[in-house]
Amino acid sequence: MIQISDLTKIYRMGTVEVRALDGVTLDIAKGEFVGIMGASGSGKTTLLHMLGLLDDPTKGKINIEGTDVLALSDYEKTMFRLYKLGYVFQDYALVPDLTVMENVSLPAMLRKDRSEEQIRKDSDFVLERIGLLDRCDHLPRELSGGQQQRVSIARAIVNKPDILFADEPCANLDTENSRMVLDLFHDINEEMKQTIVMVSHEDWHKEYFHRIVRLKDGKVVSDGTNPSAH
Amino acid sequence: MGKKELRVAFLLALRSLQRGSRSSVILTILIIGMCFTNMIFLPGLFNGIGQSITKQVVDYEIGNVLVSPKSGERYISDMDATLDLINGMPGVERATPHFSKGATLTYRKRVLGATVRAIRPNDEKLISPLYTKMVAGSYLGDADTGEVIIGKPLAGDASVKEKDEFQASLGGVRVGDSITMDYGNGYVKDYRVKGIFYTGWYQSDTAVYVSYTDMALADPRAADNAEYITVKIKPGYSEKFVKDELQQYGVSEKVQTTADLLEKSMGRALQSFAIINMVSLIVGIIITTVVLFIVITIKTINSRRQIGILKAIGVDKEVIMHNYGFQVVIMSVLGILFGLVLTLLMAAYLAAHPIVTPEWSATLYLTPWDLVQNSLILFAASLVAGYVPAYQVSREDIQSAMRA
Ligand SMILES: Nc1ncnc2c1ncn2[C@@H]1O[C@H](COP(=O)(O)OP(=O)(O)OP(=O)(O)O)[C@@H](O)[C@H]1O
Ligand SMILES: [Mg+2]
Repeated sequence: MIQISDLTKIYRMGTVEVRALDGVTLDIAKGEFVGIMGASGSGKTTLLHMLGLLDDPTKGKINIEGTDVLALSDYEKTMFRLYKLGYVFQDYALVPDLTVMENVSLPAMLRKDRSEEQIRKDSDFVLERIGLLDRCDHLPRELSGGQQQRVSIARAIVNKPDILFADEPCANLDTENSRMVLDLFHDINEEMKQTIVMVSHEDWHKEYFHRIVRLKDGKVVSDGTNPSAH
Repeated sequence: MGKKELRVAFLLALRSLQRGSRSSVILTILIIGMCFTNMIFLPGLFNGIGQSITKQVVDYEIGNVLVSPKSGERYISDMDATLDLINGMPGVERATPHFSKGATLTYRKRVLGATVRAIRPNDEKLISPLYTKMVAGSYLGDADTGEVIIGKPLAGDASVKEKDEFQASLGGVRVGDSITMDYGNGYVKDYRVKGIFYTGWYQSDTAVYVSYTDMALADPRAADNAEYITVKIKPGYSEKFVKDELQQYGVSEKVQTTADLLEKSMGRALQSFAIINMVSLIVGIIITTVVLFIVITIKTINSRRQIGILKAIGVDKEVIMHNYGFQVVIMSVLGILFGLVLTLLMAAYLAAHPIVTPEWSATLYLTPWDLVQNSLILFAASLVAGYVPAYQVSREDIQSAMRA
């Protein structure tokens, strides 16, 4: 489903070159729950940004579901993100002036293939799924961090994306809330066969991942199925 | 840009205004409203003053068309022939002669110089509302001799002491009193005050009116001479038409319309008005533009990361630009509406309590077109002010926006 080959990203600051990614080659299959792990500065976020079409690599190829995504125009990339990708950020990144329901429906409202009724049904469904349907008229600031992160997951999956990306979604949460969020990821991966690529540097998260890709200095240092996953 | 995108942009805009900083939204709307009022108030007031002066000049001085002696001459000598000629022309309601002379007025212990204006009282009724402005006694008749009507400020008020008077007067002349007028040519006569009027037009209110018949006694030239002739036109005719007609069909005197005369006498004042109007227009536009520009710029700077996130989840940059665009549209529409209400309230207030001076009384003179035009100008300025920062921030690449 995702084929990445020789992905390289070089940041140039004056005369200094930082190789944030250095020839990463990976295949991710449909339905996988992949954890990208590694020390701080190893290139995890950079990799996720490349896959999420938020930035262009210096070199290499990314193919998602048969599309050479790097060849797309700016507008096409935006539409690709809207129709095919979901993204969860470390800081939830909800629109503060929209209610929970409005935040979740927002990506669906922009799709040409969604009727008003469908949008409501889908939004209700994902809010129910994350257990916050009763808070749908609340503003994000009226929710706890964990609840906000669950809303942001609901927003990311409301359009049933092909791939869901998450960059350290638990970094701002305590262990209990982290578990809740991770369980949610686990469940939607199981129930909806949702492909998930998640970045984490917390060692204990790895019990959730089917497969773990370890990065070090922008290179893949290990990649394999995780026997301890549950 | 489809309907769905515009709807999302509008939702984002509306929610941001509803749930964002209320006070900044309200302040912005107030400022736009004030700018609108400021843009329209001074020009409207000047227009009101201009209208008021024009009306007074038409009513009490020159009618619609003024016929005055050829250059080099003091009087229109073939007065009756000229009057007949003018009165016979299509479009002319009435033409009537005027003759004025200085005189020294004596009433009890007061002595005062004033202008004595000779009119044909009945003809004058067709030209000037003077006969409706009597505050005491009655208007002149054509054959009246030995009787005058005088302006209220000239007649004065017996309860005000001479040293406290704002302008010199005869100190409280009443109807039926007698005043002595000395024309300086040896003709001195006592007149009975038949009526007292108050027009609000300084030139008239400080004058004494006598009938033409009476004036002919004081100055024989008034028997068949006119100092000038005022012409009132019939509804549906233009001043210009009547002027051209008069000139074409044998009136050899100087013929000028009100517009000609006002342009000459008030041209300079009108120019200054135009400059002041322009300044208040430009200041209004600049303040509105700057305020909206700052408000939107601050908004966009504060939400750079948020904008990056929205783009990351698939919201197109056009939606983001129109989000801020709509916010400006909503605020400027509300601001302009507020300004309209404020302006109309002031117009209503001034209509009820005009600013009155001896020369004019000012109300706000606003045409619907003035209101529409200023609204559109201000609206266009706000669009530019809002869309410039909105356009800029919507083009920023996701990486730098998200790192903000
Ligand atoms: N915009 C940038 N300009 C310059 N260097 C950058 C930029 N973004 C990332 N880097 C560098 O690229 C390298 C990889 O950064 P990245 O953010 O991908 O690391 P990470 O694995 O996500 O780290 P963390 O766990 O701290 O989030 C780092 O050395 C970082 O300094
Ligand atoms: Mg990172």
